[in-house]
Amino acid sequence: MPEPQIYQFAVPSNFPRPDFDTESPLTKEGIELGRMLFYDLRLSGNNKVSCASCHDQKLAFSDGKALNDAGVSGTILHRHTPALINLAWANNGLFWDGGATNLESQAFGPLTATDEMHQDLFELAGELSAVPEYVKRFDLVFKDQVSSQNIVKALAQFQRTLVSANSRYDKFKRNEAGGNLSSVELQGLQLVRQKCQSCHAGELFTDNGYHNNGIDADFSNDKYEGLFQGRFRISYNAADLGSFKTPTLRNVALTAPYMHDGRFAELEDVLDHYSGEIKISATLDSNIPANGFQFNSDEKKAILAFLKTLTDEEFITNSEFSKP
Amino acid sequence: MIAISLSELTLISIISSGFLVTKIHMKRIFIFAFAAFIFSSCDNNDESTEMQPVEDAKTTITFDARVGNTDFALNKDFTIGTRTYNFSKLRYWVSNVTLVDSKGAEYLIPDSYYLMEEVGDLNLSGTISDKLTYPARKREAIDIEQIPAGEYKSIKFSVGVDSKHNDNLSLQAGELSIANGMSNIAWMWHTSYIFSSVAGTVKEGATSAEFLAETGLNANYKTVSIDFAAPVNFSTAKGIVLNLDVTKIIDGIDLIKTPKVNAAQSAVMSALAANYGSKAVAFGSVSN
Repeated sequence: MPEPQIYQFAVPSNFPRPDFDTESPLTKEGIELGRMLFYDLRLSGNNKVSCASCHDQKLAFSDGKALNDAGVSGTILHRHTPALINLAWANNGLFWDGGATNLESQAFGPLTATDEMHQDLFELAGELSAVPEYVKRFDLVFKDQVSSQNIVKALAQFQRTLVSANSRYDKFKRNEAGGNLSSVELQGLQLVRQKCQSCHAGELFTDNGYHNNGIDADFSNDKYEGLFQGRFRISYNAADLGSFKTPTLRNVALTAPYMHDGRFAELEDVLDHYSGEIKISATLDSNIPANGFQFNSDEKKAILAFLKTLTDEEFITNSEFSKP
Repeated sequence: MIAISLSELTLISIISSGFLVTKIHMKRIFIFAFAAFIFSSCDNNDESTEMQPVEDAKTTITFDARVGNTDFALNKDFTIGTRTYNFSKLRYWVSNVTLVDSKGAEYLIPDSYYLMEEVGDLNLSGTISDKLTYPARKREAIDIEQIPAGEYKSIKFSVGVDSKHNDNLSLQAGELSIANGMSNIAWMWHTSYIFSSVAGTVKEGATSAEFLAETGLNANYKTVSIDFAAPVNFSTAKGIVLNLDVTKIIDGIDLIKTPKVNAAQSAVMSALAANYGSKAVAFGSVSN
């Protein structure tokens, strides 16, 4: 009986060490199985939607829409599709309000949600069990049958390999060939470090935390089970009203539109917001001044120039992440 | 863990000690069956060490749901204090069951995750399947095998699911499952298990309410320790009965004032979890 081969996860030298603690060691075969599933339309109830339908590699695994209606029911979703970047380090909750503790648990959500993949988990296991290739692979990877638990484990393994660490900025940071930043880009880097990195922190360009960044003033609307109230509806801690997950700035030029509901079409709109359109509330993050950062137009240009250096062409073209 | 998949319209009866015999007609069912592997004890033929063969014992632990001094039942009026309660369901996870022997050594029953419950047919449609009925079930007994020989003085267990399993719904252990309505996997919410759930109606004079009181979240995982009245040898005793008194579960909880108890009512939910952990369960008797 062949054994799956342990996958050596390469930590980029400028990144912190990730913490894999979910009982699911990465194996080459597990990752490959996860990739097959990620692109498989059969994971949806109508066999027309796969994970990749809304997580498009060309867009750093986002979908370019504010609120997508590509799900099985055709209903417009309430939240913008998050990009899938550097999830091996995302250990502080998944979804915009952090309701899922890990990738394994998270996948059950979109798989079963009526407006997303609307899949019946019993039928899914039955459908994939009728495919000899899947039966063989699940047996090799998990020494087990096809089951929804094993499906989400395989998907999680694949997603953990989606590492973006080869942008021009990274090559600059690691003194590698091709890592030159112009003076405008360097100016932008300094501004991002000073003004943005209290939340978009470190080399991951996210603290994987939850902040109220002042895009709304009022969070009293508790419709849709607290959908508009941010992390509050998970923690029930008043300090979390209006707090949403800090997305990474990596590949940000590719992942428009922006914010948890995609309300800002362009990066310029985001910078205008942070410059002086902050909406005040009791839980506004203390790192954001009430009248904004007051960027002048040169500063905005510099920040935009720098943000573009975080685009990782290798990430969006790597065939190991593409449809098999 | 064995997952059994059935083709449409197949009859199945599941007979396992502690479970009701259930015949199920439906479109594809996953039953997560607990497979107990029985290992034969090793005989040591080396006489010079004079080792005794270890005889493993088995037993049944019963969680007998009560309302004060009477047996708990669904769809029956009970007077508790000044109020009349009528229960439509009682469900809770019992996990990490540990038997403590007279010397204080602990035997943790492997894979001990059990769903204790008394429910009518539950409509779980729209959770992980568009059409899903969980069939009516009364389950109060847990069968345990392979208990090392000896005398035991107490039992420990927890109400709910420990954080490792609560935080990762893909981990399979014991009877843990997302197919039975005791988990929350809706994408917007906190993906985790529901630790306990009790529902029904409560009336006081002209006022009434339909209540659903649930506990969950890692902070509300409570461990209980129950001393036996006297040391128990499971080689001779058939089992032990613990009493779960529903009046103690709801003690101090005003279900007319807060008929819905869940994460949004965190203080009341904590109080409810504390009741499960500290007041509700008591030693009942030894079965012989």
